[in-house]
Amino acid sequence: MTPALPPTPPQASPPAVSAALTETTVRVNSDFRGDRIVLYGAVFDPRSRPSDVVVIVRGPDEPIRIARKSRVAGVWINSRPVVFQGAPGFYIAASTRPLDDIARFGVLRRLGAGVDHLTFNAPPEPGVETRYGVRDMVVSRLGADYLDWRNAVVRLKEKDGLYAVEDHGVRFVDKGLFRAEIALPAEAPIGRYDVRILLFQDGQPVSEKARTLIVEQVGFERALYLWAHQRPWSYGLAAMAFALGAGWAASSAFRRD
Amino acid sequence: MDIYLPIAEVSVNAPLLVALGALVGFISGLFGIGGGFLMTPVLVFLGIPPAVAVASMSNHVAASSMSSVISYGRRRAVDFRMGGVLAAGGVVGAVIGVEVFRWLRLLGQADLVVALSYLIFLGVIGGLMLWESAGTILRRRRNAPPPPRRDRRPPWLYGLPLKLRFPSSRLYISVIPPLLLGAFVGVLSAIMGVGGGFILVPAMVYVLRMPAGVVVGTSLFQIIITTALTGVLQAGRNQTVDVVLATLLLVGGVLGAQFGARASARFRAEELRAILAFIVLIVGLRMGLGLFFTPQEPFVLMAGAGG
Repeated sequence: MTPALPPTPPQASPPAVSAALTETTVRVNSDFRGDRIVLYGAVFDPRSRPSDVVVIVRGPDEPIRIARKSRVAGVWINSRPVVFQGAPGFYIAASTRPLDDIARFGVLRRLGAGVDHLTFNAPPEPGVETRYGVRDMVVSRLGADYLDWRNAVVRLKEKDGLYAVEDHGVRFVDKGLFRAEIALPAEAPIGRYDVRILLFQDGQPVSEKARTLIVEQVGFERALYLWAHQRPWSYGLAAMAFALGAGWAASSAFRRD
Repeated sequence: MDIYLPIAEVSVNAPLLVALGALVGFISGLFGIGGGFLMTPVLVFLGIPPAVAVASMSNHVAASSMSSVISYGRRRAVDFRMGGVLAAGGVVGAVIGVEVFRWLRLLGQADLVVALSYLIFLGVIGGLMLWESAGTILRRRRNAPPPPRRDRRPPWLYGLPLKLRFPSSRLYISVIPPLLLGAFVGVLSAIMGVGGGFILVPAMVYVLRMPAGVVVGTSLFQIIITTALTGVLQAGRNQTVDVVLATLLLVGGVLGAQFGARASARFRAEELRAILAFIVLIVGLRMGLGLFFTPQEPFVLMAGAGG
């Protein structure tokens, strides 16, 4: 701290954020049980104004099918499934403080920061109207139930560890140096993950960095996955031949005569 | 020791699955059933997507049935001709079943149909078997004479055309009932992830009136053919067969089936049927009664957006 320093002119150097992942590729092999990705970063701000950091990890988009159970003649059955488009298969927003304390609703919504501000919608017969004091809400044929459905998607994904909001997931470990840990469950989808690191001051985003994380199957698992999906018939035949062969081999091995 | 399943995209405990395979394989060899009706619910309970569990079970059931059918074949306890006729029906049923399952998944009703099928089929068959075998056991305890055997075979079985001689079963009946039975079991095999032995065995005893000695072996023979086809179709059409999962299960399964097939000689047939009836009833009720309870979570995510 050098309090004798003259005040820096505001245009001299704007605050900036920088960050790096300790691991940029996650290899999914036979003993994959999830992973923890560590992210380190630094805030460069000559004026040392109070800063908040938000780290958003967004996995590849996956359409979500969700159904609601309802009682028909004493039996709980599923409604027709509703498909939500544009939802990420994995989403974590980690921050130094609860997101609502860092920035206003509108700012968070514009940035898509936090599970409440993810934009995904159910396409059939959508309409746009004002509801719950929020403009431009997508309302589908689900009508007034829309929020229930949307909350259910988030709740179920959170239960699987695929969506998370970590209010104190980013911690300053030293002046200007922060660290975040991202838990990747074994169910995390394969693909390219976008990591955004946002620096907030006075409730406004002032700097942003983007990083990429790749989750890929490797080795034997990769080969099997590709085989099963690209040449499913030969895969199916080979798998069945192997099964029958194993049954026959066991029977021969146990023969007593 | 956990292992990652490449198609199911989840990781599971490998020794647990091998042990589960061995236990179900033992039951399979003991009662001459595929054991799928036990295994599929357990796999779903362990967190494996139901579509993958149902499809991968076909491979497991085929392997354990193969392992025990050879033992039965050596004892001349397989009616290959009857098995072939049943399997011909089963092939048609399996093709229909895989397509029906695909359609149900798109509608989001696969879970409901699977649960209802378990409740209805396992409940009815378990109940009937329990009733019949308990009666037999009680009569033996009281040294009562067996009831006059109604040897009059149902006339409709004999009135139908296309009769065929089945020497191993000492039958001369129309091929239509076994064909229909095979087709029905084929559909169930695809939808429920089961071999269908729990339906075939009683149907062969009570409807076709086959001698008890060849029933189990013949059932296993038909199950191999039907599940082999189902497994290939599920892999080809739905890409839901996880070969790592199936292998883990069958390592235990084929060994268990060997011990089961041997142990079966030490029990009385009606006692075996009574135990099997209990297992069938419990699984059926466990799977089906969930439909009547108010769920804690009214929403459910469905795997595979494409269907």
